[in-house]
Amino acid sequence: MMVANDALGLPVVDALDLPDPVSRPLQPGALMRTRDGDWHRLPRFFFEVDSWQTALTTQLTAHFGLWELMDVDLHEAASLRMFPRYVPCAVTSLAAALEVFRLEVGATVRIAANGGYRSPTHRGSRSGSPHCWGTAANIYAIGGEPLDTEEQIGRYGAVARRLLPFGWVRPYGHAAGHADDHLHIDLGYATMVPNGISEEDDEADQARRLDDRSAGTSGVRP
Amino acid sequence: MSRAEHLQATLASRAGEIAAGLGDGALGVSVFDYLSGFAWGLDGDRWFHAASTIKVAILAGLFDAIERRRFTLDSRLHVRNRFLSVLDGQPFRVDARRDADDDVHASIGKTMRVGELARHMIVRSSNLAANLLLDLVGVEETRGALAARDITGVDVCRGVEDERAFEAGLSNRVTADGIVGLLRAIRDGRGFSPESSKAMIDILMDQEFAGGIAPGLPDAIRAVARVAHKTGDISTVSHDAGLVFLPGRPPYVVAILAACAGDPSARNEALAAISGLVYDAVAAAGEAA
Repeated sequence: MMVANDALGLPVVDALDLPDPVSRPLQPGALMRTRDGDWHRLPRFFFEVDSWQTALTTQLTAHFGLWELMDVDLHEAASLRMFPRYVPCAVTSLAAALEVFRLEVGATVRIAANGGYRSPTHRGSRSGSPHCWGTAANIYAIGGEPLDTEEQIGRYGAVARRLLPFGWVRPYGHAAGHADDHLHIDLGYATMVPNGISEEDDEADQARRLDDRSAGTSGVRP
Repeated sequence: MSRAEHLQATLASRAGEIAAGLGDGALGVSVFDYLSGFAWGLDGDRWFHAASTIKVAILAGLFDAIERRRFTLDSRLHVRNRFLSVLDGQPFRVDARRDADDDVHASIGKTMRVGELARHMIVRSSNLAANLLLDLVGVEETRGALAARDITGVDVCRGVEDERAFEAGLSNRVTADGIVGLLRAIRDGRGFSPESSKAMIDILMDQEFAGGIAPGLPDAIRAVARVAHKTGDISTVSHDAGLVFLPGRPPYVVAILAACAGDPSARNEALAAISGLVYDAVAAAGEAA
């Protein structure tokens, strides 16, 4: 299944239809367990990005480019670092939320590498991290000011909590679940199915494909 | 006594005097000449705080990981200034004001290629790059890479600027013999491909800090010598270790480690003086060979 998204000009694909070396690390539609023991279904529909140039020139909002939310390092699966690359469609919602945040703070907002979408097989992804849904961002600097103090992270975190009532902001701290060198904002486990895409499927076939994709992966079940 | 024997005796005698001039400090020297086989040392097995010379070991560990196809020099790595102390797992940062290199700090939040980071770690002695690469490769993996090449006298136990570990007495250590062994493994390609060996030497060759080896060479020799080396300086030590390439002959390897409190100029003068004496002895041994 592939349709073009008119606004962005990017094809939208059902990741279950992608070749195995790409689909397997994306784990589309699989259930993933969070640290709290909750289960959430990973995204299935992705924008297909054919080149870094396309990522650089695709604006999601006035101030956020697609590249900022898909910049990963060598900790990502090798097959997912090659183009075409895939980004969950919900990344547009994240960009919209970040734009609201950016307008409120009135300064440039910088997203860290590995701080936008990363796959469930990225070695920096904890099981159930909203980054795997493309709904989380790690902001490392605002207005050229690095966010690495409790005061800064607390101040901007309060802004994010006020603007994004359904979102979540990691508190400042050094322990797991906290952040001390960035501001983590996420929208939870939102997935997006763009207009023009049907989720109708042969249920038995889908279940089989999910099962194939998730076999042997810790923290994931079809 | 031949001229070579005379110059080697002079080296031993003068090095002892220079070591004594460091007062309560210490001097460690190790030399190996590929042309003549001449090898010499003064307290070559004495342990010193490694300072930034440990970055040569991190470089070797990095290329060992590349040989194992864990990643490539072109792989991109997130530049993040957050590390965990080897002592207690508490986070710490590399202080930009104490780091000799600004470029890597300017890339915080972005990615840099592994090869770029390796260059910054050696050529401009970037502490941030060193910690990023040691985190990437792993301390145990780096130690394993050295052990697999029979390198002793180089003890990598943590990243740089880990103050809590330092205060607890946990520091990277080297001996002069150990660094010479490490540089020989790099030059010889021991467990490294010829491409990796050349790449490491090329990086060491681009060193931007003068150190003590080159300044100690006779003027005419310094003009034609190429030194692939790494310096190391903290408040109480000054080191320089490298391969000295001269026209028409294989290189020699030298490590000069000096420790004493107070004015670093005394240590730097010692490094240069030893380097000049080592050159004279190596040159004479080469002529006799």
